Amino acid sequence: MNRPANTKGARRERDRRIRINAWASNHRDCALDTIRRMLAQPVATLMTLAVIGIALLLPALLYVAGSNLGQFTDRLEATNRLTVYLAPDISEQSISEIRAALDNSELVGSLQFISSEQAAEDFARWSGLGDVLDSLADNPLPAAFVVQPISADDGTLSSLQELLNGLTGVDLIQVDQRWLERLTGISRLIDRTVMTLVFILAFAVLFITGNSIRTLIANRQAEIRVMDLMGATRSYMARPFLYMGLWYGLFGGLVAWLLLQCMLLLLREPASTLLASYGPQYQLIGLGSIGAAVLLLSSAGLGWLGAKLSVSRHLRALTRS
Amino acid sequence: MIRFDDVSKRYPGGHEALKQVSFDMDRGEMVFLTGRSGAGKSTLLKLLMLSEPLNQGQILVGGRNIHRLPANKIPYYRRRIGVVFQDHQLLFDRSVYDNVALPLQIDGYDKHEAARRVRAALDKVGLLNKEKLNPMTLSGGEQQRIGIARAVVNRPQILLADEPTGNLDPQLAAEIMALFEQFNQIGVSMLIASHDLSLITRLRHRILTLDHGQLIRDEHHPSRSGATAG
Repeated sequence: MNRPANTKGARRERDRRIRINAWASNHRDCALDTIRRMLAQPVATLMTLAVIGIALLLPALLYVAGSNLGQFTDRLEATNRLTVYLAPDISEQSISEIRAALDNSELVGSLQFISSEQAAEDFARWSGLGDVLDSLADNPLPAAFVVQPISADDGTLSSLQELLNGLTGVDLIQVDQRWLERLTGISRLIDRTVMTLVFILAFAVLFITGNSIRTLIANRQAEIRVMDLMGATRSYMARPFLYMGLWYGLFGGLVAWLLLQCMLLLLREPASTLLASYGPQYQLIGLGSIGAAVLLLSSAGLGWLGAKLSVSRHLRALTRS
Repeated sequence: MIRFDDVSKRYPGGHEALKQVSFDMDRGEMVFLTGRSGAGKSTLLKLLMLSEPLNQGQILVGGRNIHRLPANKIPYYRRRIGVVFQDHQLLFDRSVYDNVALPLQIDGYDKHEAARRVRAALDKVGLLNKEKLNPMTLSGGEQQRIGIARAVVNRPQILLADEPTGNLDPQLAAEIMALFEQFNQIGVSMLIASHDLSLITRLRHRILTLDHGQLIRDEHHPSRSGATAG
């Protein structure tokens, strides 16, 4: 048994390399073996994946809804337009006076006039209800000025409102900001809902994988007990189950992504039409590649974590030493 | 090699399985542990495998107090010990080969080296031609031999066996014991629990007798194994 020191060192180095290789191949074996086990029980596997997928679909869907709504709030954030509706029977004279007053005000950044004919034309084009307008004797739509103030602060807006209220022929002043505020509010509400749902459904995914792993451990009790007595470490015994959790999470995330794509496919036609009516710059946004990557990575991570929590609890109970 | 020092074990519920048991066992020795059912044989082996905690005393293996080992060292201690169970504890979801290879996989052996050792162990127990079969299809004696191959494949320093011939007819039992003697002759220390007195007295090794948890007899026969070991 006595060997020269250098041979011993070389042998130790070789042993170390063998051990690292064995460790790596054990990982590979576990990864492949767990996939084989999943395929061997297709119905049970599919059910678990479907439940995980549906749990993840909900926040993904709301996220997509939020980002579509965000198109509006992002683009409109800077605009705080006033729409000044003029009295229906207003004279050309009064219109000129109002225009002059607004042109001379240092509070006004830009000004656009929409005549009642133009308003009728726009309405007919966007609503598709042109026939209704045609059937009316008079054009009911008033002329309007669209005023872009130089700044969006409350002081500027109220001074402008004051100025306009003093002018004859002004019927109604509408601040577009209110509408924007509501939209931003809805958008924030959705964001908050997504966050809460992500939190709750993340727990759901943890429980689902944890429970599936618990069943798998119960099915392999005999094997675990024998391996424990043969000197398997906890991490060695846990490894196949952690891979199982990882795959459950990853493939469950994939199911969620596929379901989302199906839904977007169904929604694309009506949603695009709706969005296009607001202008050509708006279109239906999907999850995107970054969103998809986040979905898959976080679901894989959750699956792994669920397995980890379940495994450490149940292995400890099985291998009491 | 193995030293029990005033070891007592009481199970939760109050059953006293071992009472102040002390003995020494040398490296390369072959020792039988006998006594009636419930005398404490299995408990003694379980204490050696660290699958039960003890209440009093200490157990030294290779000079180390094994019940003081930190949890992360226990797997490495267990790898140095081969265990043969009465019900062999084979896994029926894999082949004979994979059953025997399990300890080597756990220990991180290179696949080629593992294959060499598995075949050597199967050859030793005479089942080399059955490596691809499922152990379920084999007879009780063959299953026990697979269990033995699995216990020795990692070349342990100590082999523990709990009623290894309990389910076998006398001829198969004698064959299994002969196999154990062969392993003992290459230096493996053996501690074998068996209630089959007629079989073990014939084999003329040291016999420890337990009764109601107490070591009541320690008979040394002129040892054949001691002379050939080393």
